Amino acid sequence: MSAPGELRSRLAADYQPVRALRSPWTRALAIVPLAIVALIGAQLAFNVRSDAPSLGWLGVWGFSIAQSAIGIIVVGAALRESIPGRHWSSAAIALWVAIPIAAIVVITLVSWEASQVILRGAWWVVAGVCFAGSAATAMPVVAFAGILAARAYPTRPAIAGLLFGLGAGLMADAGWRIFCHFSEPAHVLSAHLAAVILSTIVGALAAVSLSGLRGEEHALHEPVRPRRDHGD
Amino acid sequence: MADDSRLRELMREYQSGRFEAVDEIYASIAPALRRYLLSQARDGAKADDLVQETFLQMHRARHTYDPSYPLMPWAMAIARHVWLMDRRTMSRRPWAPDDVTAMELPVKGEAASYAERDQVRNALGKVAPAKRDAVIQHHVLGFSFKEIAQRAGIAETAAKLRSSRGMAQLRALLKGGQEK
Repeated sequence: MSAPGELRSRLAADYQPVRALRSPWTRALAIVPLAIVALIGAQLAFNVRSDAPSLGWLGVWGFSIAQSAIGIIVVGAALRESIPGRHWSSAAIALWVAIPIAAIVVITLVSWEASQVILRGAWWVVAGVCFAGSAATAMPVVAFAGILAARAYPTRPAIAGLLFGLGAGLMADAGWRIFCHFSEPAHVLSAHLAAVILSTIVGALAAVSLSGLRGEEHALHEPVRPRRDHGD
Repeated sequence: MADDSRLRELMREYQSGRFEAVDEIYASIAPALRRYLLSQARDGAKADDLVQETFLQMHRARHTYDPSYPLMPWAMAIARHVWLMDRRTMSRRPWAPDDVTAMELPVKGEAASYAERDQVRNALGKVAPAKRDAVIQHHVLGFSFKEIAQRAGIAETAAKLRSSRGMAQLRALLKGGQEK
């Protein structure tokens, strides 16, 4: 049995050799330059947090690099999710979401333990700046990760988008915390975490929209059916 | 079905430029894909359509296949996606009857010159569903091609094509009926 004639001619029409995509984890490394920009951007534009001496190198840079690395790994997970047949199970997805959020919480609590700079007055202004800055930093990373994911074939785009949005948010927040010297849990777990959540939502929506565009392409295919069907 | 290592090899060849490998891939996995799609769609003709669409999508996504993994889970995931996409597309479509024999048709113009309404209804019942939907929505329900395209999630040109092909098929069926 060979492929039906009409299907074969359609396949032949745009057939050309392709190079198989590299492994998702390798492809995720493409985002490292953007992760570095996100990591150092805020402190270059503004400054390193004023309580850096009390936190030490590990508390400022070490934790942020670790958080950014987790973000890159989560983007890798999103890229794996974008390959047909290599979906994550529900439990694995729950872990991929829980681990980064737990990382933010732990880093916040440890930083707060080491340096308790209390946020007094105009907290909403600081929260607004951190939320907007962190979210804005995440968007280019979301866009780039979205392109990487779309180059594969995400059959569950919402989940792929959720993961790469979360990874991007993590990377952006990793940079923003180097500038923001308020480790007060109420501040970080509202303003900073909200930016991560926004980035996650934007990632999911962007991936679903891209998939919708691809869906139109899908629907453009007139059915290729053997002539015996429907009297065609 | 060819064994897994042979399928991986065939797919690797298909990726790297040997188009003819598609025939052996088709022969090896189309029956399994059809069984799966038939279990979902419960309609043989629909399952055949979906198998073809799955191969088109496999072709588009061939760069995502990693030959160090088995082929079938990859192909099955695409088949499942094709099935879900098709179900979503169908759910967005407006009402279009499967049974057109009881339909009230405002038959006018060239259709009236061919035959009675019953003949039109019977012939319409033989037109392929996608084309029939477009014909009914445009010529009977009065939707514009733009509206049909939006509702079906397809391009306007595809809607026009479906309608014109459906009309051509309808004309041919009516003509055949008259000659008898």
